[in-house]
Amino acid sequence: MKRVYGVAIKMVLASLALVFVAGGAGADVYVQCPGDTDGDGVIDDFTDPELLAHPNAVCMHITGGDGFINMADTTVTGGARGRQLYMFGFADVTGVPPLDVIDEGTTAAWYPGPLIELDEGDEFYLSLTNVGMARRPDLDDPHTVHWHGYADASPAFDGLPDVSISIHMGGTLTYYYQANEPGTYMYHCHVEATEHMQMGMLANLYVNAAQNDLPDGTNLNGFIHHTGYEYAYNDGDGSTYYDVDFPLQLSSMDPEFHDASESTQPLPFALMNDTYAMLNGRGYPETVNTAELANTENGVVSQRENALVEANVGDKVLLRISNLSITEYFTLMSPQIPMRIVGTGARELRGTGGADLSYLTNSVNLGGGEAFDAILDTADVAPGTYFIYTSNLNFLSNNTEERGGIMTEIHINP
Amino acid sequence: MKTATDTALRHVSALRRIGISILMLAGLLIGGTAQAVITGTTGVNFNLTAKEGYVSMGDGATIYMWGYALNGGPAQLPGPTLIVNEGDVVTVTLTNDLAEAVSITFPGQADVVTTGADSQGYLAGEAAASGGEVTYTFTASNPGTYQYHSGSNVALQIEMGLAGALVVRPNAMNQAYDSPSTAFHQEYLFFLQEMDPHIHTAVEAGETPDLTNRQAQYWMINGRSGPDTFFADGVPWLPNQPYGAMARTHPNEKVLMRVVGAGLDLHPFHTHGQNFRVIARDGRMRETIPGLSGADAGISDFTLTVAPGQTYDAIWSWEGKNLGWDIFGHAPGDPCEASAEECDPASPYYDHGKPIPVTLPEQQFLTFGGFWSGSPFLGQEGALPPGEGGLNLDGGFFYMWHSHAEEELCNYDIFPGGMMTMMIVEAPGVPIP
Ligand SMILES: [Cu+2]
Ligand SMILES: [Cu+2]
Repeated sequence: MKRVYGVAIKMVLASLALVFVAGGAGADVYVQCPGDTDGDGVIDDFTDPELLAHPNAVCMHITGGDGFINMADTTVTGGARGRQLYMFGFADVTGVPPLDVIDEGTTAAWYPGPLIELDEGDEFYLSLTNVGMARRPDLDDPHTVHWHGYADASPAFDGLPDVSISIHMGGTLTYYYQANEPGTYMYHCHVEATEHMQMGMLANLYVNAAQNDLPDGTNLNGFIHHTGYEYAYNDGDGSTYYDVDFPLQLSSMDPEFHDASESTQPLPFALMNDTYAMLNGRGYPETVNTAELANTENGVVSQRENALVEANVGDKVLLRISNLSITEYFTLMSPQIPMRIVGTGARELRGTGGADLSYLTNSVNLGGGEAFDAILDTADVAPGTYFIYTSNLNFLSNNTEERGGIMTEIHINP
Repeated sequence: MKTATDTALRHVSALRRIGISILMLAGLLIGGTAQAVITGTTGVNFNLTAKEGYVSMGDGATIYMWGYALNGGPAQLPGPTLIVNEGDVVTVTLTNDLAEAVSITFPGQADVVTTGADSQGYLAGEAAASGGEVTYTFTASNPGTYQYHSGSNVALQIEMGLAGALVVRPNAMNQAYDSPSTAFHQEYLFFLQEMDPHIHTAVEAGETPDLTNRQAQYWMINGRSGPDTFFADGVPWLPNQPYGAMARTHPNEKVLMRVVGAGLDLHPFHTHGQNFRVIARDGRMRETIPGLSGADAGISDFTLTVAPGQTYDAIWSWEGKNLGWDIFGHAPGDPCEASAEECDPASPYYDHGKPIPVTLPEQQFLTFGGFWSGSPFLGQEGALPPGEGGLNLDGGFFYMWHSHAEEELCNYDIFPGGMMTMMIVEAPGVPIP
């Protein structure tokens, strides 16, 4: 590992400079990653002894800060993008030289934050640099990452500020996790959780099962595994096999809260009323737009994920569904193609004695912090377009715009 | 409201605001006995009175409420936790000091016999306003976690606080049900409620409350909103809210969570630290073969949807294994102290003597939580800047258990608070109160 210090010259923001003066220390973007020689979070020396000691190391460098996104209500704005919202969020700066991280990360947060996809057995070195909230120089909030659902978590890496440590502006905290349990999780900042999560500090996270890596031809209780086969869990019988998988994270925002934050007004906690409901950070129809979207404030490409589900007839489609709304229970409905729920809470739906607890359904209900793994079998589905949407029909809208919200399409190709 | 103060320090300041020194809190948290048992009232005959009272919320607000009182004591939020044994013939006598008819219904209890009712309420026979009395008798046939609540003018009376927990213990010790698969070392109650203070204010003023626009602004576990949930049972400054919600255990122990949805809204209850496994719902074991398989049909999850009227029993256990580093901070030659697996080089959980693969940032880059011991290792204390930490004198691992509808982590307009408490995994040998 190489330690690289940022320099004060890079600090163009008065807010950051103030804190550094107060703290009596310089900026310290310090990424810990075995085999990374230049501090950018990318492994480049494969002979590094520390990497050899941690051969399953996977590194990522993200920022916590602020930025802008646009909602999908373009019929209201009459423009290419809908209503602009100020937000807090994470962004991926893996590969960015440490001296450039603060610059690149300033007012450049994403919604949702960077997708984290790991393989079971990975040693995950996740560095979080707090780049500050440039549009709110009065704030000096720290940030954390809470890997929601991590088994046998230790407080040091659980991201709960009350019981742990959180990182100041200009500093970097590297979290270390062994990815032990496959499944669908989520992550979010846990500092001032009501505010930072309402503002957008949340993202998808899932872990691929080790069963994917079995030798070709392995017999799983009568199911023959072949190289390239993938499973939601280490099921031992191929019951969670899938051809394609898609994370679908439900979330929602209260535009009045975001506007109050942007204009440094008292935050309406008690009156919180989320009216934009989203999948992977977008309301319909932007959920099916596969382009990465730039915001109207500073052109930062801040909405990179979409929610379009594409498969071929006969595919088994795994939906990794999670909810990080802080106000709403949602029912997610797949009205034409039933879903087999094979997992909840990043665990296969099996009893303690191995009983099959999976079930076929057209809907799942999930509150904040819940996750489901749903497999759609398209063997008997005709090619065409199908829908997934919330049956909380009041959320099929983008604030005042009808025909939006939590809806996406499943495109089944011949 | 946003300020520069971090969450943990606000917790501390909240404690100070209500006059509790940190040391006093620490004193309350260090106990004597080896096992946590749910606080409540045992026996088979219970005398409850429905009466007025005031509860205190985590932001210092005082709110008028109606509650069930035990033996003429103060109205309680929640009502007294009634703890009985399987097969007991239970008699509950209700006296009504309120100005409207009140009653009790016992969901999940069969053949409740009501005697002396003054009138028939919507869901139960009633005690008349201002002095009426009614008696309910039932046989507690099935072990499990249940609730009781008013069956009269229910939308208002549940909001006002007329609900409590009923625990029916099986004949076997330290089990939730008659199956050994439900054995536990520690048990805790998580009784989830919420309230809209505007309704309470209207009732206190003698006005007709508007129940159609109810919007909860306070969220409680065991009748308290955070951070009051952290305080011990029976603290004198919360006379109407006698039950704390701080939970403790040791590594590898089984914790029985008895979770009750007692309000009018759903709550997604999230357990930091590890998944739980459901063993029962509404007092019925989750079993594939009734009477034979044990509680083998419950799901594992990290968030539990608790709907109004439901109860869940779940087992939670933190083992601290397979982290890739030694949670005790041992050097390779040090003796082992936890599970055998931690010290067995053949085990996949063999972490003994492994250092943390990353360096924690220097202090000037960090905000410290009040419950951070200063050390990442279980049972250890580390150096902290003056005035930081201080609420974790045994070096325990703290996990927040909370509503994952984070709007419910507020007391009215103030974050943090609401439906949250802590589960503490203490180092082996640290006594559990
Ligand atoms: Cu969470
Ligand atoms: Cu949490």
